[in-house]
Amino acid sequence: MQRLLHQLRHTLIAPSRNPRAAVVLGRLLAIAFLLCFGTGLYSHFLQDPLPGMTFLTRPLWLYQVTQGIHITAGIACFPLIFGKLYAVFPELFQTPPVRSFAHLVERASIALFVAASLVQISIGLLNTYQFYSLFPFSFRHTHWVLSFVVVGSLAIHIGVKLPIISRYWTRKSAYESGELHATPNPDAILAVFDEHRRLTGQPMNAGVTGRIFEWIDREPAPVAPSPRVETSRRGFFATVAVAAAAVMTFTAGQSFRFFDGVNLFAPRKAGVGPQSLPVNRTAAAADVLTTAVSPDWRLTVTNGTTTKIYDYAQLLEMPQYDVVLPIACVEGWSQYAQWRGPRVKDLLNSVNAPDDATVRITSLQTNSMYGITTMQPEFVRDDLTLVALYLEGETLDLDHGYPARIIAPARPGVLQTKWLSELAVIS
Amino acid sequence: MTPSAVVRRWQIALIGLGVVGLLIALGQLIELVAPTRWVAIAAWLLGALVIHDGVLAIVVLGASVLVRRVKAPIPFAVIVIVQGAVVVTAIVTMLVLPAIVKQAVGSANPSVLPLDYVANLAIFTVGVAVVTALVVGGYLTVRMLRQKSPRTT
Repeated sequence: MQRLLHQLRHTLIAPSRNPRAAVVLGRLLAIAFLLCFGTGLYSHFLQDPLPGMTFLTRPLWLYQVTQGIHITAGIACFPLIFGKLYAVFPELFQTPPVRSFAHLVERASIALFVAASLVQISIGLLNTYQFYSLFPFSFRHTHWVLSFVVVGSLAIHIGVKLPIISRYWTRKSAYESGELHATPNPDAILAVFDEHRRLTGQPMNAGVTGRIFEWIDREPAPVAPSPRVETSRRGFFATVAVAAAAVMTFTAGQSFRFFDGVNLFAPRKAGVGPQSLPVNRTAAAADVLTTAVSPDWRLTVTNGTTTKIYDYAQLLEMPQYDVVLPIACVEGWSQYAQWRGPRVKDLLNSVNAPDDATVRITSLQTNSMYGITTMQPEFVRDDLTLVALYLEGETLDLDHGYPARIIAPARPGVLQTKWLSELAVIS
Repeated sequence: MTPSAVVRRWQIALIGLGVVGLLIALGQLIELVAPTRWVAIAAWLLGALVIHDGVLAIVVLGASVLVRRVKAPIPFAVIVIVQGAVVVTAIVTMLVLPAIVKQAVGSANPSVLPLDYVANLAIFTVGVAVVTALVVGGYLTVRMLRQKSPRTT
């Protein structure tokens, strides 16, 4: 086994498998992970705020941009993590596999880090495809828990590797000092006796594995000072860069209109959907096909014992406002639209709600965790927060929340409640 | 304080922070996720390691060993460029493939996965091939010109 590990490490030698490459890619990956973590926390707390939290309602595109970054940076993690794992792959075959308890803990934390990172970005991507059938668990809860595993084990990993990171942080310290090539790589010299040979005297090419590795080693990877080392290294970084640029460029169109023309692979396309706007949950999926079009539909607005009930015509008689706001989904896609309807604060004023009211919003849909949501005072009192009745000058499509839906600035799409039935002041 | 002592302090702080992160994760796991789901999550984590380290990395290693044995008189840089193009196409394909499968299975509504991903992947692959050919052509041209006019210094 020791021989196998030794041989594998030798075979895995490649010019781009060095600490400098690991540090360069690790840095980029850490930035991408932290961007995803920060924007993810923001999205999470918008949906489940801790007591006392308040949120910005401007700029209007705030959530659109944070969540667009979350998804796009998450997609960029794929080539970055593949490149990083490629650079450190020989470490998998360390001999002896465990040197001490501390070494065991370090290797276990790296295994957890790698596994959690790969699962985190994979389920994130699959969630944007709404491929829920692959998850035998709640996506949202698992993604939330794993985010702390990833960031926690990232901090531990950086902590453990800090001496290496600081030594190879700059190009100068890594290459120009010559340290990278001056440091002898014991795996580069196959003639160094492994344990097996030392103990049994068996030649290195004995046995099936020995012969396979001998065959492989007839054409060894380039090692310094071969000029191929530099070519190979440049090729490696160029490949990771081009792959990252490609996956971002051809998917970012769902979040950033600038890239719409080259939207080849995103799960959403601007302008595609009822009334030219994408939909996440349809009326059929929400099971509101009859209740939403019923002539008995009413919007109930309550503040303690004060209640006002509006039918559709009464809502239309209220002062109507036009706003241009994006629907920005947690899945990363977003699109601006023009909405028209009465202001939420006007409706709440009709029941004498206080200025700092927090409101519980109830939808006709009963089969979703977003059927009942809470709106913080800063959004309730915003002039741009409407009970929208119109979209782009037309009556709302049933899939966009007919007869009435919430639209507010800088909030996730899941909180822009469709098929409204009640607004209730809760504090 | 010596530089190594500074590094040591940062190491302790980072590892401490990391342990706090893992404890939060554990707390949230216990609070939010039913224990019956833990096995499924663990299976995904283990599966990710097996698929990456046991399959993908080994395939890449095998491919690189085979490429090393190319005997044809192809300039090394050309091999590196073509290798890079193949890797880029493979990564993009890996990301788009689940979208193609999900689209075939059926998406929740017509605005989810609305594009023709198979055709777009084909366009992308052709695009990569064209760009690769241009880069290789450019490289060979520059190399030829350099060989014709050696530096006189």
